[in-house]
Amino acid sequence: MPPRGGAAPLRYVTGALGVVMMAVGAALVLSNRDAPGVLVWLGGALVLHDAVLAPLVLGVGLLVAGLPARGVVRGALVVGGSLVLVTLPLLLRPGAPPNPSALPLPYARNLVIVLGAVAGAACLVLLVRWLRRRPRYTEDDGRRGRQAPRR
Amino acid sequence: MDGMRQRLRPPSFSGRLHDARTATVIGRWLGAAIAVCFLTGLVSHWLQHPPRWLVNELPPRPVWGYRLTQGLHVASGLAAIPLLLAKLWAVYPRLWVWPAVRSVGHGLERLSVGVLVAAAVFQLFTGLLNIVEWYPWPFSFVPVHFAVAWLVAGAVLLHLAVKAPQIRGHWGRRSPGTLALPPEDAPDRRSLFVAVGAAVAAVTLTTVGQAFTPLRRLDLLAPRHPGIGPQGLPVNRTAAAAGVTAATVRNWRLEVRGPRRYTLTLDELRSLPQAEAVLPIACVEGWSASARWGGVRVRDLMERAGASRDAGLRVVSMEVRGAYRVMEMGREYAHDPLTLLALTLNGEVLSADHGFPARIIAPNRPGVLQTKWVTRLEVM
Repeated sequence: MPPRGGAAPLRYVTGALGVVMMAVGAALVLSNRDAPGVLVWLGGALVLHDAVLAPLVLGVGLLVAGLPARGVVRGALVVGGSLVLVTLPLLLRPGAPPNPSALPLPYARNLVIVLGAVAGAACLVLLVRWLRRRPRYTEDDGRRGRQAPRR
Repeated sequence: MDGMRQRLRPPSFSGRLHDARTATVIGRWLGAAIAVCFLTGLVSHWLQHPPRWLVNELPPRPVWGYRLTQGLHVASGLAAIPLLLAKLWAVYPRLWVWPAVRSVGHGLERLSVGVLVAAAVFQLFTGLLNIVEWYPWPFSFVPVHFAVAWLVAGAVLLHLAVKAPQIRGHWGRRSPGTLALPPEDAPDRRSLFVAVGAAVAAVTLTTVGQAFTPLRRLDLLAPRHPGIGPQGLPVNRTAAAAGVTAATVRNWRLEVRGPRRYTLTLDELRSLPQAEAVLPIACVEGWSASARWGGVRVRDLMERAGASRDAGLRVVSMEVRGAYRVMEMGREYAHDPLTLLALTLNGEVLSADHGFPARIIAPNRPGVLQTKWVTRLEVM
C-alpha cells in the first residue's frame, strides 16, 4: 500500500526527526561515563522481554486458549499480571526502605486484596453473562424475556 | 533432510490477534503514553537542570505545574507497562520472520525496532525501579534515563514513519487493512482491548493517589502515600541521612550575602514579617502533597541585603552530603511572593526531617530544589 501523495513529506520529516533524536540519544548514551554498563543493560532489557517475558505470556496464552470463557480469563490474567509487575519492585527491593515515609504500605497484603478484587470482578462478569444467556424457563419467569434475571 | 530443515525453522504462531489492527490500536494508546512521558520528562529535566539561558525564564506559575507534570510522568510510565507488553505481544511473531533479513532496508528496519524495544523496556524498567529507590545498575540513573528517553522517542517517530501505510490501513474499523482481516477475530480483539484498558485503569487507580490526593484511599500499590511521613507529609531525605544533627543546628544562624551582608538568629527571623503559602512538595519520583507553609518571603530577605530586582539566589544547606546541597534559583522564583524561607509546616515548627530550622519552599519546582536545613542565602 503506497502512502498517499500528501502524507509522504510528513512521513519523511517524521522519520528524519526520529533518526536525529535517536542520534542525540545514542550520543548521550555513548558519552556517558558508564556507557558499557548502559549497553549491557539495554541488551539485557531486550533479552528479558524477547526470551523470557514474551514466551512466558505466550505459554500462558496457550494454556488459556481452550477454556470456555477464554476472554474473561485472559482479561483477569492481563489485569492481574500488570498489577503484579508494578508491585514486584516494592516486594523484592532488598534492604530497609530508605526512610520511614518511603514504601510505607503493606504491599503484599494490598496486592492480595487487589488481585482478589480482580478475580471477583471476573467472576461477576461471568455470572452476568451466564444469567443473560440462560434460556427462559416458564412464561412466569421470563415475562420480560432474557432481561428478566438481571438485577 | 526436509525434517532437519523443518526443525531449524523458527517457531510459527497460529494464535489469533497478532495482526496490524491489534498493533495499531494498542500502539496508539502506547504512543500517547510515551509522548506524555517524554514531554513531562523533558519539563522535569529542564526544571531540575536548567540550561543557562533558561534559568531566569522558568515560570513559578502555575504553582501546581510540576506536581501535575511529574505526576503525569510517573502515571503515564506506569500505564505504559501493560500497553508496551500488549503491543509487543501483538507483534512478537514478527521477531521470528524468515528469512531474518531480506534486504538492507529490512535489516535497518529490524535494527531500529530492536533499538526501540530495548530502549522502551529499559526505560520503563529503570523508571519503575527508580520510584522505589532501587538502583541495581552500575550507572547513574538521571543522565541515563534522560539519554535513553531520546532513543525511545526517536525510535517511535522513525517507527511511525516506516509503518505509516500499515497504520493508515488499520486505523479504523472500516479501514481497508482491517476489513481484510478475518472478521470473526473482531469480537475477540475487542475483548483484548477491554482487558488491556482495564489493566491500565487498575494500575493507574491503585497508584495515582500518591500524587492525585482525591484518590489517596485507592493508593494501595504506590511507593508513597501522601499522608504518611513526619508531620503528615512524606520526605525523601531524613535529617539523619543528610548528616544534620541537633548539635549541627544548636548555634544556627542564617547568613545572607549580598551588597549588604547580614546574619539573623532564628528568633530574629521569627520576628520579621511572616507570610503563608499553600504549596505542594512534588517529588521527581512522582508523589506529591500540598501543605501550608509559614515563614519569611525570600524576596524580603534579598531586598534587605540590597539585591536588585533581577538578582537570582544561591541557597546553601547544612547537609554534609548530597548533590543538591547548593541550589540556585532564577530571578522569577527568587522574587515570587510565594517563595518562602519556611519556618513552619501546617502551623507547627518544622520537624528535623522537614528541614528545621529553615527550608525553602517555592511554587512549581521539583522537590529536590526545595532545599532543607538552609544556612546561607547568596544574592547572585
